[in-house]
Amino acid sequence: MADPPPYPGTPRWVKVSGIIVIVVVLLFVVVMMFIGGGEHGPGRHAPSGDAGDQVPSSSVMEDHAPPEGGRG
Amino acid sequence: MIMTPRLRKFALAAHITLAVGWIGAVAGYIALDVAAATSRDAQTLRAAYLAMEMIAWYVIVPLALASLLSGLVMALGTRWGLFRHYWVLISLLLTIIATVVLLVETQTISYFADIAADTTTSGDDLRALGSTLVHSVGGIVVLLVILVLNVYKPRGMTWYGWRKQHELY
Repeated sequence: MADPPPYPGTPRWVKVSGIIVIVVVLLFVVVMMFIGGGEHGPGRHAPSGDAGDQVPSSSVMEDHAPPEGGRG
Repeated sequence: MIMTPRLRKFALAAHITLAVGWIGAVAGYIALDVAAATSRDAQTLRAAYLAMEMIAWYVIVPLALASLLSGLVMALGTRWGLFRHYWVLISLLLTIIATVVLLVETQTISYFADIAADTTTSGDDLRALGSTLVHSVGGIVVLLVILVLNVYKPRGMTWYGWRKQHELY
């Protein structure tokens, strides 16, 4: 029985897409850290007062627990 | 188990309906999300947040879970397999990521809706809530990438798929 042909390797479109995804994710992280200046994650809308002007000012917020997860 | 041609057609029709429905539902959600991000009117904001929660929980989440499930059925019930071709594998990973982010995001959406439903919440508080635009727009981009992958089916087998294919001969 003949040996199977060798694996041709990962296709170019997968490699190029992977590089693009890594670059986009890194750019996004940099933008969020330095330009966006915002906290990305739980508690951005928490009534702790340390999230800048994103936090509603009235006591109404105190009745609502912030979500555990992140936010957009 | 490979599906019969008739069953495969039915499963494919269901999968396309669910997946494209997911994209359409997110598009509708984005319209409300834009209103939540840009409107200064308290009534509009209140309505937008409440509608966003309804769409997210009763349309987007069911469609996401159902299209993930129907995608698994399509992959495992046809010769494409789940791990044999890069386009299937990447579609699966992106769908799982999109679904997980969606499920996390629903907590934020419900939090916004809870505040919006409170009639004592002032207009200023509603305007300060913000939106989920980053995730919703990011989500629809991911879904469109999955759609393109599924339509074009670019060539390329994984090492596992290559080995399996040559085991058969």
